This record gives sequence, C-alpha cells and structure tokens, in this order.
Amino acid sequence: MKASNRAERGFTLLEVIVALAITGFVLGGLFTLLGASKQLSLRSSESLREAAELRAAVNFALLENEYNEVEPVLQSERFDMRDAELLDDPLRKTAGTTQALQSFEVLDRDRDQSVSGTRWVRLAAPR
Amino acid sequence: MQSARANSVIMGHPLVIMGHPLFRRRNSGFTLIEVLLALGLTATLLGLLSSAVFMVASDWNRDSDRLDRDLDQSLAVLQLDRALHGAFPHSYMDREELIRRVYFRGEDATLSWVSTVSPQRRPGLIAWQLHNDPDLGVALKLAPAFTDNPDARLEAAEASLLLPGYRASFQYLYTELDESRQWTGEWLGDERLALPLAVYVLFEPMDGEGESLEVVARIRNEQHRSIQPNTVLRGIQ
Repeated sequence: MKASNRAERGFTLLEVIVALAITGFVLGGLFTLLGASKQLSLRSSESLREAAELRAAVNFALLENEYNEVEPVLQSERFDMRDAELLDDPLRKTAGTTQALQSFEVLDRDRDQSVSGTRWVRLAAPR
Repeated sequence: MQSARANSVIMGHPLVIMGHPLFRRRNSGFTLIEVLLALGLTATLLGLLSSAVFMVASDWNRDSDRLDRDLDQSLAVLQLDRALHGAFPHSYMDREELIRRVYFRGEDATLSWVSTVSPQRRPGLIAWQLHNDPDLGVALKLAPAFTDNPDARLEAAEASLLLPGYRASFQYLYTELDESRQWTGEWLGDERLALPLAVYVLFEPMDGEGESLEVVARIRNEQHRSIQPNTVLRGIQ
C-alpha cells in the first residue's frame, strides 16, 4: 500500500535522471554503432581502391627489369618506386651471367608504407 | 489514463484529495485545446523521428551501394588483370594469304585478345573483347577461341556491362629499335605476329567525377612458339 502511494506521487528527480541516463546510453550506443559501420564501409571501399592501385604499381615495378627503363605510364602519383641493391650471388655459381635478382620497393606516399619484392634484371656486363 | 488514476485516487482518499485544485480540473476531462496541443506535439515528434529514421536509412543505403559498387569494380579489375596476364599468342590460318596470324587486336578504345583465363572456368582458350559503350560504360564480350579467327563469334556474343559509367583506353608496351621501351596506342597482332610486352588499361569515369582505375599487365608468353615475325616475313618474300 505504501509503495502504491509512492507511485501515485509521480516520479522523483532521481528516477527521471536514471531513466534519461539509460535512454541516453542506449541511444548513444546505437549511434556509435551506426557511425562505426559507416566508417567501416568507407574505409573498406577506400582500401579496395588502394589495393587495385597498388597492384598496378607493383606490376609496373616488375616491368622495369631490363636494360632500359620503361616509359612511365601510371597516372596516380601516389606510389614511388625505388630500386634496392642486387641480391647476393648463390654460393656455387660456376659462370658469370647477365641475369641477377634485384629487390625493389614501392613506397606509398600517403601512408608511409612500402611493399618490397624481388625481380629479375639483366645487367650490362656478366658478373 | 491520468484521469483514471485521479479517479482511483479520489475513491481511495476522497477527503484528502478532492480539495486539491489540480485534481478537480482533471476530473472534468480534457479541453479541446489540450487535445489539439497533445496531438500536435505527438505529430511533430513522430514527424521528426520518422525523418531522422529516413535519413539514417538512406545514408545506410548509399554507403552499402557504394561499397557494393567498389567491390564489383575491384573484382572486375582483378579479373581483367588476370586475363591480360594470361594472354596467349593464339594463331589462326589466314586463307587468303595462306599464313598463320596471331590474334590480338589492340586499339585505342577497344581490345580483343585470347587468354588462357576464363571467368567461368571453361576449358580451352577464351577470346575476350573490351569495348566502350558510349551510354553505359565498359562492356565485355566472351567467346570460345577455336582454331579459327574468333572475330565472328565475338561479334555475335552478347555484351555484358563490366564497369558502368567508365570509359577505357589502352596502351601497349613494345621495345623500340634503340632498346628503350615505349607505350603505343595500337597493336595489331596479325601484322606484328607477336603480342605486346605489356598492356596498360586506364578506366576513366565518364562524368569526370570520381577516381580512375588503372591496370598494368605483363604478358609473359608474347612470342608464338612456331611463328616468329622474321621467319614469316621471309616466307612471304
């Protein structure tokens, strides 16, 4: 009887605040979830595009492997290609060849990350 | 509900509460103005809420559409990349001049080639053709490459839209006489009797908005195993 009396008096300030806080938390959680999913979709479509761009850049770096350089063709200026040193000769090499393995790097300027790989190059003189 | 509650209150404690002015007024029901006000408030709130929900839903739709489109585009670009890497120096007999020719017709805006890669994993070699549909985008045709020239079959094949809203342009890598390697806008395999060293494809958006897509593909087996450009030319002379 006492409880029903209390209920009939209306809500106390504390109750209202607690109710508002709970509602606020739930709504905040919902909106955070929404924002996060939006950001995730934006980021994933961005990285899909980046992967395709990087693939073209790496393929182009693989082309540059014989006597003369290839005329540049890529439009995106985001990637920087850098030649690194030739790899060491195998231990049991019996004759000089003009073929050698060279490592190369493709630098992503925007993200400051790099992809490295190895390609065959043809040298001017056998070694 | 309010008045019902007030009623029960009055039944419980008639003497204590009847005197209160608030409950006396409640007892007589709502006035027209109160009802109108309540309805108006409710309508406004519902309107705000539904417009917010609509905005969120359309935003969500736009994002998912964009993600779908980007996924489709990257799949298309990867598939093309693979098919160009797997280009094959397919040859057919030219009945008029009685020589074998290599099938690869690369122009500025269209490209037809034969690849060991097929999107449906069909056995055998597949002829691919990319061309620009001026209204829709980049279209792709596929046809099996038998021993003859696949041009007629490609012509009859049904085109499917590969990249909606894009326009493709092609360049082909070759070795110049001074051994520098350069890109050219045309490569006809039946005249040169070999494939180019590499193919570069640039997909530009038609409306000028958005980013362009690029593909670079090195063709590994650009030489036909029995047709060499010099031997055939000697044969003609």
